[in-house]
Amino acid sequence: MNIENTASQMRKGVLEFCILSIIKKGEAYPSDIIDQMKNANLNILEGTLYPLLTRLKNAQLLTYRWVESSSGPPRKYFSLTDKGAAFYTELESTWMELANAVENLTK
Amino acid sequence: MKQVININFQGSVVPIEISAYDILKSYTESLRRHFGKEEGGEEIINDIEGRISELYQERLKGGATCITDEHMEAIIQSIGRPEEFDEEKVEEETTQEKPESKAETAAPKRLYRDETNKVIGGVCSGIANYFGIDVVVIRVIFLILLFTGVGILPYLILWIAVPSSSVKTIGSIRKKFYRDADDKIIGGVCSGIGHYFNINPWIPRVMFLIPFLTFAFSWSNWTFFELPNILQFTFSPGAFLFYIILWMVMPEANTTSEKLEMKGEKVDLESIKNTVITELKGVKDRAEKLGKEAVANAENINVKKHTGTLGNIILIAMKLFIYIILGIIGLSIALSLFALAIAAIAAFPLKDLIIEGTWPNLYAWGTLLFFIIAPVVGTITWMLRRIMKSNRGSGPIRFAFGAMWALGWVCLTMLLVTISKEFKRYNPPVEEEITLSNPHVPKLNITASQSVMPSSGTVYSGRQSWIKFDAFGTSTQDTMMVQNVSLEIVKSTSDSFKVTYLRFATGKTIAEAVKNADMILFEGHQADSVFTFMKGIPITHREKFRNQHVFVIIHVPVGKQIYINKNADVYHGLEFETPSSDELDLEFIGLQKGWKFNTNYIMEETGLRNLNQTEDNEKEWGDKPSEEGGYRYRHPEESNKKDTVIIENYNTAMNEKKFKREKRSRSFVMKSFLSYNPIL
Repeated sequence: MNIENTASQMRKGVLEFCILSIIKKGEAYPSDIIDQMKNANLNILEGTLYPLLTRLKNAQLLTYRWVESSSGPPRKYFSLTDKGAAFYTELESTWMELANAVENLTK
Repeated sequence: MKQVININFQGSVVPIEISAYDILKSYTESLRRHFGKEEGGEEIINDIEGRISELYQERLKGGATCITDEHMEAIIQSIGRPEEFDEEKVEEETTQEKPESKAETAAPKRLYRDETNKVIGGVCSGIANYFGIDVVVIRVIFLILLFTGVGILPYLILWIAVPSSSVKTIGSIRKKFYRDADDKIIGGVCSGIGHYFNINPWIPRVMFLIPFLTFAFSWSNWTFFELPNILQFTFSPGAFLFYIILWMVMPEANTTSEKLEMKGEKVDLESIKNTVITELKGVKDRAEKLGKEAVANAENINVKKHTGTLGNIILIAMKLFIYIILGIIGLSIALSLFALAIAAIAAFPLKDLIIEGTWPNLYAWGTLLFFIIAPVVGTITWMLRRIMKSNRGSGPIRFAFGAMWALGWVCLTMLLVTISKEFKRYNPPVEEEITLSNPHVPKLNITASQSVMPSSGTVYSGRQSWIKFDAFGTSTQDTMMVQNVSLEIVKSTSDSFKVTYLRFATGKTIAEAVKNADMILFEGHQADSVFTFMKGIPITHREKFRNQHVFVIIHVPVGKQIYINKNADVYHGLEFETPSSDELDLEFIGLQKGWKFNTNYIMEETGLRNLNQTEDNEKEWGDKPSEEGGYRYRHPEESNKKDTVIIENYNTAMNEKKFKREKRSRSFVMKSFLSYNPIL
C-alpha cells in the first residue's frame, strides 16, 4: 500500500467537483482554474485538467466560447450548462453527505 | 552555440532552439499517443498545444530571444507528462453515450475548416461550429445546393478560402498579406504581393507601373492602349486606385513574426492541388464513418427529441441569407463606387474644354482627388478593413479622409464659383448669312451632318476608346461636339432661299462673350437642292465651353417647298443655364412653328402648308407617334388644329421663352446620353 497513490486517488475523486464549483462561480479559462486550485493548495497538472475539461464538455456539462487573447491563440472560456448545473447540485449534496460522514467517523 | 529555427505554432511564429524543438516534437507525439485513441483526443491535444503556445508568448514577451531547452522543460513540468496524468478511465461510458457531441454550443470567432470532423474538406463542420449548430444541417444545405444547380463551386471556394483548423497545430504555416517595409519603393505593396505569391517583386511592380506610365503619357490626348478586354483593367488608371487601396488595407510587416508570416509557406496552385489530393484520400473512410454515425444519430433522435433543431435551421438559413444579401449589396456598392471614380478620371480631361487658368485647374484637380476619389477609396478601404476586422490605426485614417473630403468640398465650391462666372453674360445677336450656291431651287432639303467640318477638321470615327463618354455630345480626344444647334424657319421677304445664323456664347463680360461667340466655327453649304449644316459646335481646348448656341434660320420664300430631314434634329440643349430671351434679345420675323421633320411643306402667304397631309396620313400620324423617335416635342396644337401656326411680326419676347422651355423638356441630358451611347 502506497501512501502517495492513495492520496492521489482521494484527490482525483473530488477533482471534477472542484472544477465544476470553480466554473460555477463564473466563466473560467483553464489557467484560472489551475491558479485557483493552487491557491486552495490543491495541485493539479495542466495535462490532467485539459482532458477533464474536454470530457466534461463532451458530456454536455460544460460549454465554452472562444475569447481572443493578446498573448497567443484564442482561449476557451468555460461555463456550466443547465445540465452541468443540475449535475453540480447533485454532486454537492453527495459531497455534503460524504463530508459529514467522514467528519463524524474521524472525530 | 545553438541553432534557432522559426516554427509556426498554433497560429503564431515562434523562434525556438533546434534541440528545444526536438523536445517539443517528442512531447506532442507522446501526447498524441496518449490521447489519440480516445474521443475528443484531438481537441485535448489542441488545447494543450494552445496552452504551450501561450506560455511561449509569455516567455518571448518577457524578453527571451527564443525558446530554449530550459523553457521547454519548465513548460512540460507545469503541464505534466502523460505518465504523470491521473488516469480517468471511468469516462469511457459517458463518451459513448452522446454521439451528437459535435453539436457544440461553442461559437469560435473565426471560421475554420474543421479537420477533426471532416468528410471532404471540413467546410460543413467548420460552418456548423461557427454557427453552433449540428453539422448535419449544413451538410443537407450543401447537398441541396449541389442538386439545385448551384453546384459545388461555393464549397470549393470555401475550401480554398477558409483556413484549416490545422493552422492551430504545429507545422502548418498560413501566409498572410503584408507590406514589406524593408524592400519598398512606395508602400511596399508590390514586394508584399511578391512574397505572397513567391514571385519577384518586380513582376507586380511592372504590372502596376506599365499602366501608370501609359496613363501619364497618354494623358494629354487621352488615348488608351487597345488591349484585349481582359487586360484592360490592369492597363488603366484603376491600377493606381487599386494600389492605394492595397496600401491602406495591407498591414506592414514590422515584427519578425509578421515578416515570417509574410514569407511563409508557398501558396500556389501546386500546393492547393497537393492538399486536395491528400485530403481526398481520406474521404472514403470518413464517409463510411459518417454513415455509421448518421445511423446512430437517427436512432438517437428517435429516442430523445432534439428540440430546437428546426428553429436552428430557420435561424441559420436566415443568417446565411442575410449575409449573402449584405455581401452582394456591399460588393455592388464597392464596384459602383470604383466605377464612379474611374468614370470621373476618364471624364476629367473634359475639364480643359471648360476651364482655363492655373487656379480653376487646381480646383478641378482638388475636386477630382479629394471630392471624388478620396471618399471612394476611403469607403472601399473601410469595407475591406471591416471584412478583415483590422482596427489598427483606423483613427488617423478616418481623420485623413475626413480632412481630404473637406478640402474636396472647398475645391468643388471654388470650382463652381469660378465656372459660373464664365457663364454670366451673353453676346448681343449678330445675324450672319451663309451664301447659298443656288438660292432659287424650287425645293430645299435641309439636313445636318458631321462631315461639314471646319477647314482644319478632325475626322471623327467611332473609335473604341476605353470609356465611352458621350453625354456631352460626341467627344473625341480634343474636340467635343456640342449639339446646341437649333433650327428655325421663317418666311422670306424676298423670292429666294436664304440661310442665316446667330452665334451665341457666354463670358464674364459682354466683350468676352462677343469674343467667344466669334470663335464659334459654324458652316453650312448647299449642293444642288440639299443644304447641309454642321451637326454640332466644335469645342476645343482653345475655345472652351461657354454655352455656345447657334440658331440656323432658313428663310423660305412664298411658293417654294422645304423638306427638313430628321438628321437636322440636332438640338440637345446642353447649356448650363437657360439663356433667357431678354438676354439673347431675339426677334424672328415670320417665325414658323409646329413643323415636323421628314415632311414636305410649301410656303404660302399664310405660312407653311403640309403637302403630305391627307386623310390617311393624318390617321397614320395619330397612330404612330413613336415613328419620330418618340421624344421629339409635338406641339399640342398640331394634332387637332391646323398643322401650321402663323405668327406674323412675332414679338418673341414672351413666346420664344416658352418655345425654348418646351424644347428643353425633350432634351434632357440623360436622354441624349442614352440615345448616343452605343454601349447602352
